[in-house]
Amino acid sequence: MTYLNAVDPAAVAQDAHLESVDVVIGKNTIIFRRFLRNKTAVAGLAIFLALTVFSFIGGFFTEWDKETIDPFNIGMPPSADHYLGTSQAGIDLYAMTVEGTRISILIGLVVGLVSVLVAAVYGCTMAYFGGKVDKGMLFILEALIMMPALLVVAVATSGGGAGLKRDLPSWLLLIIVLLVFSWMGTARLIRSMSMSLMQRDFVKAAQYMGVPPRRIVWRHLVPNIGSLLILDITRGVTAAILAEVAFSFIGIGIKVPDVSLGVLIGQATSQVQTFPWMFWVPLTVMFLLTGSLAMMNDGLRDAFDPSSSSTGKAKKAKARKIHAEKKTA
Amino acid sequence: MLKYLAKRGITYVVMIFLTTSAGYFLAVSSLKPALLEQERIPRPTPEQVADSMRLKGLDPDLSPWERYVDWLTAIVTRWDWGRSPNGAYINAEFGDRVWISTRLFLASIVLTLVIGVALGVYSAARQYKFQDRVITSYSYLAHIVPAPIAYFLVQLGAININESVGERIFYVTGISTPGVEPGWPQFVDMLAHYVVPTVAITLVGWGAYQIAQRQYLLDNVNADFVRTARAKGLSRNQAIARHALRVSFIPVAQSIAFTIPAIFAGGFFAEKIFAWPGVGSWSIDAISLQDVNAATATLAYGSVIFAIGAVLADFATTLVDPRVRVQ
Amino acid sequence: MSSETTTGATGSARPDVERLHVAGLHAASDAVLSVRDLNVRFNSENGVVHAVRGVDFDLMPGKTLGIVGESGSGKSVTSLAIMGLLPPTAEVTGSVRLKGRELLGLSDKAMCEFRGNDLAMVFQDPLSSLTPVFTVGTQIMEALTIHHPAMSRTAKEARAVELLAMVGIPSPKDRLKAFPHEFSGGMRQRVMIAIAIANNPRVLIADEPTTALDVTIQAQVLEVLHTAQEETGAAVVMITHDLGVVAGMADDIMVMYAGKPVETGAVDDIYYNPRMPYTMGLLGAVPRVDAAEKSSLVPIEGMPPNLIHTPTGCSFAPRCPLASDACLDGEPPLAPVAGGALHRAACIKSESLGGTVDVHDVFTAPPVPLSRFDAIPRAERSTVLQLKDVRKHFPLTRGALIKRRIGTVKAVDGLSFDIREGECFSIVGESGSGKTTTLLEIMEFHPDQDGEVVIGGLSNKQAADAKTKGRMRRELQMVFQDPTGALDPRFTVYEVLAEPLQNAGMDRAAIRKRIMELMRLVGLQPDHVNRFPNQFSGGQRQRIGIARALAVNPKLVVLDEPVSALDVSVQAGVINLLDHLRAELGLSYLLVAHDLSVVRHISNRVAVMYLGKIVEIGAVDRVFDNPRHPYTRALLSAIPVPDPQLERTRERIILQGDLPSPLQAPKGCNFATRCPVFAALPPGKQEKCLTLEPPLEPAASATDQQFACFFPDGEMDEDMLVVHEPADHVAP
Repeated sequence: MTYLNAVDPAAVAQDAHLESVDVVIGKNTIIFRRFLRNKTAVAGLAIFLALTVFSFIGGFFTEWDKETIDPFNIGMPPSADHYLGTSQAGIDLYAMTVEGTRISILIGLVVGLVSVLVAAVYGCTMAYFGGKVDKGMLFILEALIMMPALLVVAVATSGGGAGLKRDLPSWLLLIIVLLVFSWMGTARLIRSMSMSLMQRDFVKAAQYMGVPPRRIVWRHLVPNIGSLLILDITRGVTAAILAEVAFSFIGIGIKVPDVSLGVLIGQATSQVQTFPWMFWVPLTVMFLLTGSLAMMNDGLRDAFDPSSSSTGKAKKAKARKIHAEKKTA
Repeated sequence: MLKYLAKRGITYVVMIFLTTSAGYFLAVSSLKPALLEQERIPRPTPEQVADSMRLKGLDPDLSPWERYVDWLTAIVTRWDWGRSPNGAYINAEFGDRVWISTRLFLASIVLTLVIGVALGVYSAARQYKFQDRVITSYSYLAHIVPAPIAYFLVQLGAININESVGERIFYVTGISTPGVEPGWPQFVDMLAHYVVPTVAITLVGWGAYQIAQRQYLLDNVNADFVRTARAKGLSRNQAIARHALRVSFIPVAQSIAFTIPAIFAGGFFAEKIFAWPGVGSWSIDAISLQDVNAATATLAYGSVIFAIGAVLADFATTLVDPRVRVQ
Repeated sequence: MSSETTTGATGSARPDVERLHVAGLHAASDAVLSVRDLNVRFNSENGVVHAVRGVDFDLMPGKTLGIVGESGSGKSVTSLAIMGLLPPTAEVTGSVRLKGRELLGLSDKAMCEFRGNDLAMVFQDPLSSLTPVFTVGTQIMEALTIHHPAMSRTAKEARAVELLAMVGIPSPKDRLKAFPHEFSGGMRQRVMIAIAIANNPRVLIADEPTTALDVTIQAQVLEVLHTAQEETGAAVVMITHDLGVVAGMADDIMVMYAGKPVETGAVDDIYYNPRMPYTMGLLGAVPRVDAAEKSSLVPIEGMPPNLIHTPTGCSFAPRCPLASDACLDGEPPLAPVAGGALHRAACIKSESLGGTVDVHDVFTAPPVPLSRFDAIPRAERSTVLQLKDVRKHFPLTRGALIKRRIGTVKAVDGLSFDIREGECFSIVGESGSGKTTTLLEIMEFHPDQDGEVVIGGLSNKQAADAKTKGRMRRELQMVFQDPTGALDPRFTVYEVLAEPLQNAGMDRAAIRKRIMELMRLVGLQPDHVNRFPNQFSGGQRQRIGIARALAVNPKLVVLDEPVSALDVSVQAGVINLLDHLRAELGLSYLLVAHDLSVVRHISNRVAVMYLGKIVEIGAVDRVFDNPRHPYTRALLSAIPVPDPQLERTRERIILQGDLPSPLQAPKGCNFATRCPVFAALPPGKQEKCLTLEPPLEPAASATDQQFACFFPDGEMDEDMLVVHEPADHVAP
């Protein structure tokens, strides 16, 4: 998405004086402005950033950590000493929530970003080569979709003899397994979108100019599916966070001693009547996380929507017209 | 048409075979039932364990490939999916559990589709009005709650109702109460067990359909053919009801392929939380018990469900869209 | 007969009452549809768009009114306003009376009584206007059920069959059960007409009914409309941008610009005596298929105004070459013009434009460009492109599990031609004739192709390495049909133009210089290079496309329908530009177009294709003035000409049906299934057409014309010839 700014800077500078009357706004700028105009989206972004910051520096505001047991406060409700109370083992909930949020965000971001990247490469390759390559790759893809991800997660994270399990922390293992099963839908979408782009005249024009295929993919295909990729990243992050919580909740995802929001929520279910804060606090954080992502996703979709972007352009055209009229008058 | 379905069917059979085989290799190389056996008290000798495993066709000394060949031969020749480490036969266990899972999900699938599509149509007709905003917001909310947590919350709600009424109206776990006399009391007992899981699964599931149906219908409301219908003398609402609605079903029908497996996947969580001994909870138990054959069988079952969903989607699409009917 | 349509009198004596109707002082009691001061406003984010600004007309029973204008002129909005089909957010004021009953202000429900009953409409795009999931029969019968709920099912079915037969659909009884996707575009438009006339409407509104169709199919559909009008006696409002389409059909014309009628009158007044510079410009911007004389087209510069601001002067003034300060002082009303009784124009200078004023006196058309190659005989010029026996066959398979080959689509079947330096060669034919495949085969340039393509001395047979291919790419470039789709929306014009140059390995400074040169060359402002394509109008985008094609200085430019997506007035500018560039740069063109008028205007030689084969080829004037192949004759006769008198008296060949499917293609002459000559031949001679394939042979020794037909001068079948009675239209 940065290529738009890759215009020869010298040429831009030289043109600057010509453009003073009629400022051409780059597409990225337009999208950025439209995103900023969407209040919900900005609020979503703010909440998400705040949570991320909180998960990194929140630990400094308390002297407790996720492992230290406070023998004098076991199963206590929130107090000045323990902001969010303690578990029945005497561990500070605030410290655990900070840690759990960080792990959840980490899982979400890594899975969201990497799976979209894998999907983009896989999807574009299918669309570009077509024919037998496409058929074969599509078969693998559908077979993976058919595979119930949950079983594989369970096998991978709980297998008695799995060598992997001993060497890797459970959150990393979960990331790997989630990655394997999260990119197929996006890859299929990217494939069909790239295929229709390949049929577009501007791609044909580049081909007929003799532009090499790799450059066509990079300069024409990737930027034109860019908005889809960004939307899929936010969607993928949400899905990964939800998946982590769901798996850990029933006890097959992240395993203690690692902490995540899902683990915290899952552990608290048995005592929701007696220690309600143990359940509701991590659940609220999870809602804030997934909710803020959903709000951002919504705002981004609006900002990318070409049909609504046309009104913005019309406004500009109108402004220019008025300007021109003033000049002639 | 039949030929086309047959062709799809063969593709899916090949896929099921491949995923199941891959699943078997994964399970056989990571699940070691022998280790669990050794933790029994009195602790058996490794020889005893190996002998007992060998008797059940779970010989830990064979290579994964050899075990795979044995396993596959048994299935192909005798339709025998092997035994569990505790000696139980997979085939026998499987039948009961499939029946339980199916009972749990059939009503939910139908309800999810019907309610989701109906609410989608309803909210599209009232676009941007209060009802639309409430319904659509709910659907987005359902989208950001992990299914097991939603089930758990519904369960909590049911418990609260029971407590506030002071009587056990809903059963939040299990499939039936043992010892209830047959006839009317048994039926009431069954309902009391059914309601909570069904409501929970449906509440979570319909959101996606509502959003999709609403969007597809709105996409078609201003289509050229609706204008044609109005030009014939239909009012706007009649034209939408008779023409746009029917066309908007096409993409929904295609998405059936993904509902059925999705609900079954959600079923792992539902069975676990509502303590229904179905295929889903079996698969998770199988893994914790290091049961290779049961884990693979449930995986095969999941693949079959997906294939059935895909074939049903093809069928539904040809039903609503004449353009894909093969003449 | 005296024309009863108020705006359309050619007769001299008219009752006063009728003239008063025209002025809007009386409600016309005998008009079937009467529109007064119709205004439509839309609320948009940018302000209120005043899309229709005061439309008046009266439509008399059985008469035809043509509404002509470019996109955005408000003609379609007018028709939708009459039908009550605008979205509820549109604000419609004024009066629309159908048989004396006011329609404006009626609720959607109340309008249902009229829509599809007395008032029917045919829409532009037949592909999307029918519901894909219902059979054609269901959709026709629905129209009957709505207004005649008591009608029995068998009666409705019988009526539907009758209607399908009326609009010329073969074996109507079986086709009732067919779904829309099983019909071609032309057939679907016939179904649309059948639905519209199902309840014998008094008024039929046709909104660009033939724009999406091929010329031959357009002729068929216009004929069906004519029949429908005769059968039902309905008055027709024909909305179009094509002045040719309405010339032969309409009694009266209303020209719209910027939401307002700017000239109205009888059809002859408008075509032969236009009094408004915009009308003159529109007429001058259209090339004529029947004129050999070479003169530049008149382009109308600029763009239509934005309808958000109320114009303070004449809305056409910014584009009008005659505009003076007086034109900016208030919008001129539609005022009667001396001469034509009911001829009115909205121009303060209309009086001075009458009679002998030629369009070229008003608009400055550029001089006819002369190429340095024009003087050199064709045989002495070097060849830039040569095709030798090029074929492209696709297997046609059926069966799901095991693919069976049931036939071959011969998209291109043994094509040979050459293009010389400085020459424009055109390929014409219906869609499906193989024009586009031919272009793709040339652009593909691969050694494995069946047949040889030689571009600037490089043959595809030796194009194995990337270097040869790169050299060939510099000889040959392409301009696409849809200027919007051909430009990457995320590229600035600078990036668009830089791409081929970078690819050719030019350095940055040279690229910049070349881009500025190119912008000037195609008539764009060089300082617009940093804009995105969506900030330009369609015509400007096509100029960018042309500039990109010219960037690497090719010898040959392939033009795929370069102007068909553009408005008439913009078209002229682009055609003139292409003409000018060919002369100045010594380019050769390979043009593919369905618009034979454009082809005649710009090309030197032409090939007519039918089902992958050239059926006639030669110098454009020879082929168009003296067509020998029956298909060429049919194509030419199908083109409407913006000349009402000629249109009314012209004999027209209406080909039956669509292009045959490849499975039905006969062994001998491909065209036999639709050929009007073949149909009239005695069976003995027909045998020859069916078994032998006619070779492409020269017409006479010294002329540049070849055709492939055994009976070029044969009689045509009577059933396929149509001449409308002149008395039908011309006032006594």
